[in-house]
Amino acid sequence: MRAMFSTLWTDIRGNWKRMLLHGLIFALLFQVLMMIALIVRFQALPNYVTGYNWVANVAWIIKSTPSWSDIPPIVWEEWLLEIGKMNYDYGMGISEWSLNVVPSRLLVLFILGATVSLCMALTRRETCSTANTGTLRATTGLGAVLVAMTNATMSWVVCCATPSWVVGLAMLGLGVSTSLAMETMGPVLTGGGFGLLVALILFLAWHKSRPEPEPIAEASHA
Amino acid sequence: MIRNYTLKSALLGASLVSMASMASAEKISIAIGHQSMCTDTYTAGIVVKELGLLEKYLPTDGKYADAKYDVSWADYSSGGPITNQMLANKLNFGVMGDYPLIVNGAKFQETDSLRTLYVAGTGYNLKGSGNAIVVPVDSDLYSIDQLAGKEVSTPVGSAAWGMLLKAMQDNNIPTSEYVLKNQSPAVGAANIAAGKIDAHSDFCPWSEIMEFRGTGRKIFDGSETGVPYLHGVVVREDFAVEYPEVVEAFIKAVWEAGEWIREDPMQAVTLMEGWTGVEKEVLYLYFSEGGHLTLEPTVKQEWVDALAFNHGVLVKEKAIPPLDFDAWINEDYIKAAYADLGVDYEAEKAVVVDPLAANKGLPMEIWHSRDGVASFGTLPEFLKAMADIRATAALVNATYVYDVETGLKLFGKTAFWVKSGDDYATFLRKGEAEAYAGKTGGALVSFDEAIADFISEG
Repeated sequence: MRAMFSTLWTDIRGNWKRMLLHGLIFALLFQVLMMIALIVRFQALPNYVTGYNWVANVAWIIKSTPSWSDIPPIVWEEWLLEIGKMNYDYGMGISEWSLNVVPSRLLVLFILGATVSLCMALTRRETCSTANTGTLRATTGLGAVLVAMTNATMSWVVCCATPSWVVGLAMLGLGVSTSLAMETMGPVLTGGGFGLLVALILFLAWHKSRPEPEPIAEASHA
Repeated sequence: MIRNYTLKSALLGASLVSMASMASAEKISIAIGHQSMCTDTYTAGIVVKELGLLEKYLPTDGKYADAKYDVSWADYSSGGPITNQMLANKLNFGVMGDYPLIVNGAKFQETDSLRTLYVAGTGYNLKGSGNAIVVPVDSDLYSIDQLAGKEVSTPVGSAAWGMLLKAMQDNNIPTSEYVLKNQSPAVGAANIAAGKIDAHSDFCPWSEIMEFRGTGRKIFDGSETGVPYLHGVVVREDFAVEYPEVVEAFIKAVWEAGEWIREDPMQAVTLMEGWTGVEKEVLYLYFSEGGHLTLEPTVKQEWVDALAFNHGVLVKEKAIPPLDFDAWINEDYIKAAYADLGVDYEAEKAVVVDPLAANKGLPMEIWHSRDGVASFGTLPEFLKAMADIRATAALVNATYVYDVETGLKLFGKTAFWVKSGDDYATFLRKGEAEAYAGKTGGALVSFDEAIADFISEG
């Protein structure tokens, strides 16, 4: 066990710059992909951008919320940026759809990117067999998809509905009933995705830290 | 609790210089979230804002003698974001419809330290009018039972969604027998106009916007569910406890907004059109005498029962948290506001307006583009006036008649007309019009055909 964590620590130290870079790229790239998904889905370009003073808002929430336990879920929903399409056909305009850049989700996506980076680094050294490598990559992909999916921050103005990650699924074509049925599973899926990635990382570190098997001696012809 | 505040103050001290002013004793920030595209919220939203009614009633004596008020309004297209902003304490008041109100109360009660109070209504329709299911104007669908196997869209989570679920259940159409799509009002309205969806369920005033623009036709009105449709005002409890007189001032403003509209509906809707972008003719259907909306903020037991029913629907569909209605609904502020205004709260609370009874005998109306609204006691008089107007090619903004079955105010052009001898009757739904025609030996005629009966030759 100690050898496993020692190996893991060594790998993290050796890859931390790459992990940071991949985390950053992943978080930003995911925003770009969501924007593309929205544009493709609705066949329209965004026509408005709104910025929010995230720091001041968070400070205000912390100051004005009596219970510490209530603060994280409220801060979790604070937006930094909103980019979307305003429909002016009715009234003074209605935001029809938007991409919401939410710092808390950026953090999750950053951690996801860094974790996937570590997984890939460890997988690259896993040379048992091509089949094994394929399985490991697939597991990494599954974990990443679970986390990324539940941290999508697209919104569609479904009036009066509280925005949630399943709105993204509904927008992309999944049935409303199915989407809503999945809503409460969000934290479980995120946890499952990260659990899968962490388990994979531990497995790879453990595998790497095992002593090399001694080669089988060939029979001598004395 | 005190230790918590001290610790947080210490942690945040340096970064909160700008925030400090917001919390100073002299400056009271009042932030209100409203919805300019939801007619039933106007008396606590856009009307109060534009007429400066809150400022009129804000207290200026006692502990408020040195207070400086900073009133800000934020416009939203739905109630959900208002709740989120209230949780973040960026809004003190929220104005929204029944389903979002319930979500608001339940979400706050889910927290350890935050609560909202339901302090007043804005308006209601006893039977549930305001929500409706609309089909494209040329559709061959005329009743809800024809929606089996069809695609129906609605803004999921809204009051219209709740109404749709109940209506389908009442008509024995299980969710497996129709395709439910999630569409915002604007998208739904656009799809109805383009005939891309079989039906769209929406809340006020979207159905009437579609009817007025000639793109959609109602096949089901929310009144058929029999569940009242109401909107109301919620306020953060910490704000209400600290500034109870401000909450009372807000309720007084809501009351006066209703009085202002009742005084001159035509002028009111004309101004509201400029403030909201919603056509005045559509707004008139809601705010005129006999309109869909009864403007009155009292908290009636029927509303509490309706909200409890709606909560049950949400629990079933979305598993929202429980809601303690006794802790959430608070009549203290509205009673104090009414007392200050010199209005009898209990008397007003006891009055419940049923459109079927209240609208009986109300005159039909023609909104002439130049001369304004004219009233006519009978349908033949109304049709004769329309024929005369057409003879001069004058422009008519809209016409209004009443549904025989429900008493609901309708656009003349979208009603189903029955001619029986020299008598005429108007209906919301085709089925009921046909039944009436069968019973009276009459026939269904179009609005234009009915007017043509009164056009004199030469």
